[in-house]
Amino acid sequence: MLLAVLFANTDGNILIERFHGVPAEERLHWRSFLVKLGAENLRGAKNEELFVASHKSVYIVYTVLGDICIYVVGKDEDDELALAEVIFAITSCTKDACGKPPTERLFLDKYGKICLSLDEIVWQGMLENTEKERIKRLIRMKPPADV
Amino acid sequence: MAQPLVKKDDDQEGEEYSPFLGIEKGAVLQEARVFNDPQLDARRCSQVLTKLLYLLNQGENFTKIEATEVFFAVTKLFQSKDNGLRRMVYLMIKEISPSADEVIIVTSSLMKDMNSKTYMYRANAIRVLCRITDGTLLTQIERYLKQAIVDKNPVIASAALVSGIHLLQTNPEIVKRWTNEVQEAIQSRAAALVQFHALALLHQIRQSDRLAVSKLVTFGLTKKGSVRSPLAQCLLIRYTSQVIRDSSMNSQTGERPLFDFLEACLQHKADMVIVEAARAITEFSGVTSRELTPAITVLQLFLSSSKPVLRFAAVRTLNKVAMTHPLAFTNCNIDMESLISDQNRSIATLAITTLFNTGNESSVDRLMKQKISNFMADIADEFKIVVVDAIRSLCLKFPLKHRSLMNLLSNILREEGGFEYKKAIIDSIVILIRDIPEAKETGLFQLCEFIEDCEFTYLSTQVLHFLGNEGHKTSNPSKYIRYIYNRVILENATVRAAAVSTLAKFGSMVESLKPRIFVLLKRCLFDSDDEVRDRATLYLNMLGWDASVGETDKGVKEFLFGALDVPLVNLEASLRSYEPSEEPFNLSAVPKQVKSQPLTDKKTPSKKPTSPVDAYEKLLSSMPPEFSSFGQLFKSSAPVELTEAETEYAVNVVKHIFSGHIVFQYNCTNTIPEQLLENVLVVVDASETKEFAQVTSKPLKTLPDDSPGQTFVAFMKPDGLPATGRFSNLLKFIVKEVDPATGEAKEEEEGVEDEYQLEDLQVVAADYMLKVSVLNFENAWESIGPACERIDEYGLGVRESLAEAVTAVINILGMQPCEGTDVVPNNARSHTCLLSGVFIGNVKVLARLSFGIDGPKQVAMKLAVRSEEEAISDAIHEIVANG
Repeated sequence: MLLAVLFANTDGNILIERFHGVPAEERLHWRSFLVKLGAENLRGAKNEELFVASHKSVYIVYTVLGDICIYVVGKDEDDELALAEVIFAITSCTKDACGKPPTERLFLDKYGKICLSLDEIVWQGMLENTEKERIKRLIRMKPPADV
Repeated sequence: MAQPLVKKDDDQEGEEYSPFLGIEKGAVLQEARVFNDPQLDARRCSQVLTKLLYLLNQGENFTKIEATEVFFAVTKLFQSKDNGLRRMVYLMIKEISPSADEVIIVTSSLMKDMNSKTYMYRANAIRVLCRITDGTLLTQIERYLKQAIVDKNPVIASAALVSGIHLLQTNPEIVKRWTNEVQEAIQSRAAALVQFHALALLHQIRQSDRLAVSKLVTFGLTKKGSVRSPLAQCLLIRYTSQVIRDSSMNSQTGERPLFDFLEACLQHKADMVIVEAARAITEFSGVTSRELTPAITVLQLFLSSSKPVLRFAAVRTLNKVAMTHPLAFTNCNIDMESLISDQNRSIATLAITTLFNTGNESSVDRLMKQKISNFMADIADEFKIVVVDAIRSLCLKFPLKHRSLMNLLSNILREEGGFEYKKAIIDSIVILIRDIPEAKETGLFQLCEFIEDCEFTYLSTQVLHFLGNEGHKTSNPSKYIRYIYNRVILENATVRAAAVSTLAKFGSMVESLKPRIFVLLKRCLFDSDDEVRDRATLYLNMLGWDASVGETDKGVKEFLFGALDVPLVNLEASLRSYEPSEEPFNLSAVPKQVKSQPLTDKKTPSKKPTSPVDAYEKLLSSMPPEFSSFGQLFKSSAPVELTEAETEYAVNVVKHIFSGHIVFQYNCTNTIPEQLLENVLVVVDASETKEFAQVTSKPLKTLPDDSPGQTFVAFMKPDGLPATGRFSNLLKFIVKEVDPATGEAKEEEEGVEDEYQLEDLQVVAADYMLKVSVLNFENAWESIGPACERIDEYGLGVRESLAEAVTAVINILGMQPCEGTDVVPNNARSHTCLLSGVFIGNVKVLARLSFGIDGPKQVAMKLAVRSEEEAISDAIHEIVANG
């Protein structure tokens, strides 16, 4: 189960968040835990360099892309390796939507597109699509190229 | 030169202004009116939808009315043929998740889309419908969903399959009918991810059926069923290892092809699959070293991978291997040590803890040289705690190395850190002091240094209390006094009060220090805080500062520093309910048993919880005077059901034990709305038991439906003795019909007498035993002494397992298991269980049970009982002999 996907800026402000199967009262805890984790480790990190952690039997893979920090949290079958697939799909789609590793402004400019991409990648805690090209077509309601 | 400068300005301007700057919910809701325009501007509508999404993502709450308005407006957008806008609409509907009564507005549009010729409408409509649908609508669209699962278009198939996974939680009976289609989807050649989703769904549908899962796995291993996506392959590996684990056959026969499959996966081209297979192999309990070696080799290779996720996965798996197969892990030690300096701190943390857990005596010093304290400064508190725990276990394993390990703890204690982290270190030092006598003086000194500069009141008071318990037993207790007294000068009132108590304890335990302690305590009489002054006054007077200095009386020590012997929760509850009066607070009246929460209705958590013991006592004191003359309530049992679930009348009983009486409290519930019961009473037949005589009963006047009521029956029994027996129960009452209009009994109705047979009730020996735990069993055992000890051996016959035998004996005795000894390790051949309790008559009882099991599962038990009275020790043996 993919418990959470979070996009935040470098100051720790949340830009997009998707929780699934996390009670509302625990979300704040996760939000601050992840942002703190990012603040401690992502400074000076290279674009798309993956970081990984586990906390209370839950796995976290996170990275930085331009000015945006991206976190994915999973448990059980969605372990660090599955999360790496998810985050790879997310970063490539975000890069694709923005044309380059985005600044916060650029990210917000492409906000709708990124939300749609995320909707194609993760749906209610299940990984649905991982291929960038396919997702790019799906958000424009074009059938995938291989059909 | 001017050009780049201008460009930079442009950029900066761009950075500053977010497209959502100053966004305001009310304004966006106004803007959403464009959705109602007859001529829809798709671009503008998409922009407004994006703003709404942004607001939702920022945690902005929409009121019910606002959400409904937005939802209705969004449904208008189905008129537009613009693809981008339509995609946005689907997302928006999922995000607002309309309420059940609103869903109807979009279902027809969505059902139309679901059968649309535009493929992409179909996939999206399926996802939205499944997100907002309920059971009834699902049966209507089931046919389409089944078709969608086997659709050639992978997007549609995946949408239906993933929907199936979600719907399985809410409508399992419907989704389970799709098995054939899902099976077909697994064989789909179209897209790798369809296989992944189909496999996951099929497994979830069949997971409770072992045979079906086994078939699923066997099919997955055939060429026809082979999966292409690495993600699906990982699922297959997980299911395969589950099947191998479930089958109890040995590896020579049945599941060998399954194991071969796992071994073959070690050669797979996807790293993810290799790790999964290696992980599965290492997790089997009976794996041989020949089978283990290839798996460990691949994991070892991944330790030096350039990808952090792979390094993490490998180190995480090897961390577990180190616990289960320490020998097989030895080769990885060097690679693991190089990970201590890994950039990714989580990897380094795992590497360190693994090395700590597997290290031998000689490697400890080498590890200490790795500058672990530097590393600790870089990681979050949550991970530091893991390392602290590992240091503690390492130290307990190699007590000779306590010096360097405790130094490390002391060093990291000085670093910055939050409460939980500091507490973990303090707890570790305390445990080490307790378990390694040589570490005591160093440890106590470290604790003293810590409280010199401690920002957490709780930790300071804990350390002070611990110093009071342990400091006076050292060779030179006086050296701690300075640190303790410093607290009186420098700290807040809570810490000062704790320090005063600690000082007093030193004074009472070490005669030579007493005069000096009096001087210090006298200074505390002028403290600004009343608690500190009160404590100082109490201690000075009790320790006899004004009399000639002599040895402190044992009774005084017991009064000042002895244990209260009651759970603090109960003491607090009793103190809260105590009303100031002539009658002093009676400590012996505080219930000693720690009760779990009563079976109250979980739907009303807002109600202030009251202790069940308290509640029962209040209840009984409100009863007729006969009840209150029974004296102090010794124990109340957990409710015992006397009816089966979902019968017309539900009755359970609570047994209240007094010294010479027993009261049965029957909790009755009438579940028939058309009936009102009156004069409800339980007729108890105690003819099978000679020792009980009924003294009184209290019927229940009325019992309307769904509002439980109580009726009581009281018996006299031999005073202070554990009389047992069986009681049969018959519920008698008058039934009256209820007027559905008023909800009250019809006036003319006289009612009909009726009765209802309840199940029998037993009073057993365990009812006379209070579960009272002791902090340290060994100390308690020694302090009771062998004077009234009784030892005997018993054959318990053939038992299913040792654990089952242990649980049975614990239940017969009704005592509290101590120090977690009620848990029997898997496959253990012998086990010792420690129990404590208070028997009726307030007699402390301790029992030490040694169990052994042999090949044909014959269990033998040696029972040693210590109590304050011989007769009670004998009684405990009798209970076991009769049980």
